[in-house]
Amino acid sequence: MVGLVQARGLSFVYPGGVRALEEVDVAVEAGQLLAVLGPNGAGKSTLLKLLGGLLRPGEGQVLLGGERLGALSSRARARRIAVVPQALAALPDVTVRTFAGQGRYAHQGPFSRPSPGDREAVERAMAEADVADLAGRGLGELSGGQRQRALVARALAQEAELLLIDEPTNALDPEHQIAVFELIAGLAQAGRGALVVTHDLNLASQFATRVVLLDGGRKAADGSVEEVLRREVLEPVYGRHLVYTTLEGGDGRRRPVVLPWRESRAARKKHSADS
Amino acid sequence: MTPARRIPAWALGTALTVLLLALVWVSCLRGVASVFSPASSLRGLLATFGSAQALPGNEQLVYELILRQTLVACGVGAGLAYSGGLLQGVFRNGLASPSVLGITAGASLGATLGIMVVGGYTGGMALLDQAAKHSPLLVTASAFTGAFGVALLVAAIGGGAGRISVPTLLLVGIAINACIAGILTALQAWLMDADWQTAEAVFHWSFGNLKDKGWTQVGLVWSGVAVAALALPFVARELDLFAGGEEDAEALGVNTVRVKVVVLLCASLAASVAVAVAGQIAFVGLVVPHLVRLASGSSHRHVLPLCLLGGAVFLLGTDVAQRFVLGRDVFKPGVLMSMVGGPFFLFLLLQQRREVRTW
Repeated sequence: MVGLVQARGLSFVYPGGVRALEEVDVAVEAGQLLAVLGPNGAGKSTLLKLLGGLLRPGEGQVLLGGERLGALSSRARARRIAVVPQALAALPDVTVRTFAGQGRYAHQGPFSRPSPGDREAVERAMAEADVADLAGRGLGELSGGQRQRALVARALAQEAELLLIDEPTNALDPEHQIAVFELIAGLAQAGRGALVVTHDLNLASQFATRVVLLDGGRKAADGSVEEVLRREVLEPVYGRHLVYTTLEGGDGRRRPVVLPWRESRAARKKHSADS
Repeated sequence: MTPARRIPAWALGTALTVLLLALVWVSCLRGVASVFSPASSLRGLLATFGSAQALPGNEQLVYELILRQTLVACGVGAGLAYSGGLLQGVFRNGLASPSVLGITAGASLGATLGIMVVGGYTGGMALLDQAAKHSPLLVTASAFTGAFGVALLVAAIGGGAGRISVPTLLLVGIAINACIAGILTALQAWLMDADWQTAEAVFHWSFGNLKDKGWTQVGLVWSGVAVAALALPFVARELDLFAGGEEDAEALGVNTVRVKVVVLLCASLAASVAVAVAGQIAFVGLVVPHLVRLASGSSHRHVLPLCLLGGAVFLLGTDVAQRFVLGRDVFKPGVLMSMVGGPFFLFLLLQQRREVRTW
């Protein structure tokens, strides 16, 4: 296993004093799909932005293959780390092919035109993300799932060894949720490293090779799916409204399943009596 | 929404180039009081560069005045439109322009202070006067300082997100324009008492004027716009990536801080040389980039060069039209542009009324 990115003692305070992250250590290795879980406001997206170089840590540092991330130029960083945002601030008025081509920016100089290599990388990325047949369509015409795949295609065109993906299944139907995670898992198996921020415990359970759980800006757990997706670990973070079971996963292994579930009246009474 | 069917950039560029050359030729045929035949126009042009015998009497002088007016119109139009194209890209708002944001007002304030320092920038033949020879540079430099100051202020108010929403843009524009208008009025009132000649020069200049320019001013506006245009290969693709948000552009490898600084510097430079030479001419920087984008799409690699051509065509075109249709230039270009551009701006606002209303 090769360490792609290592973060040590990461802390970050937003202007205005909101402490988003405190002394978090995390590492992503090649071939790994690391799921970052945690309730709203746990610091998941902040962690992703720090690892992607989009925010500078207040304390601690991020090492990319041993080099300090802050010492890299924007272009050099983008050749090694691709970020898939949850959504764009606005939809660019371009076709899927042009959009995926924007992933090649970091590989091109100010006067260079797209080389045959660039074009090949874009076509390959679109094929991998399964948007090749949408290449000529405008981004505005796509469904939510297709748009998500176009974002992934653009990140793949960057040919970076590390993918940082922010809540890729938000607003997707179950079929597309599985498809997007299968795509990411495939990329990780092919040798890339992927860090996925998600709210979906069960997708993480099925696809992640490791899980980091954040709570209030601190790391609450870090380990395999079986180690983290347990009542003892999750209840202090998410509260009581979860039920736990296991189901056979796509690979035949039994996987933890965690569902939001309202307590029975009796259980509620018991809890309030206890407290 | 499919990216709409568009005119290929090369076709639009070729058409605008041909149109511009034709306009330049036609413009040089007719001044306010004198008309030149094509043959004498050609001779006048060659004589200007010392390759033919000068036109008889004062005709050569008059011809060169028209030639300079033509060249200034091209440079000023190109500069304002290019500045607008850059600002619309960096603030991701199609209503941004140097005049709406108050950048030309900043340039005016700077230029006015510059004029006051040199004491009477008539912008005319007085330039031939040895004493005034260096004043255009000073006026331009102070205009640039004013313009860049406002650009930085707008960027600071725009905040971290980078995109300026329509309401913010309008409010910032209103505030800056009103502030500067107030200061300018106060300065003028004071000048009327203290120094009538300078007051007249400021007053005359503030209407926007393309006439009676010297070669220094032609050189200033053209070189300013050329320097600003040199940034094109370093910002055009980057501005395309800004479309999805600044953070997204940063993630793709764009050094967003550097791009923003370069864009604001170049937009200020292009607008301020235009303002320093020809006064405030509103709306060229709004209308031209907008039309160019409608015609050829949103890629800044096409939009920005086409703005240079389109701006020159637009300003020279209206100037020529006025000279040919009305026979004389009744309206100063600033006034003319406001009459054309004002309704256009209202039209754009109407189109975006949803964003304005939901605010």
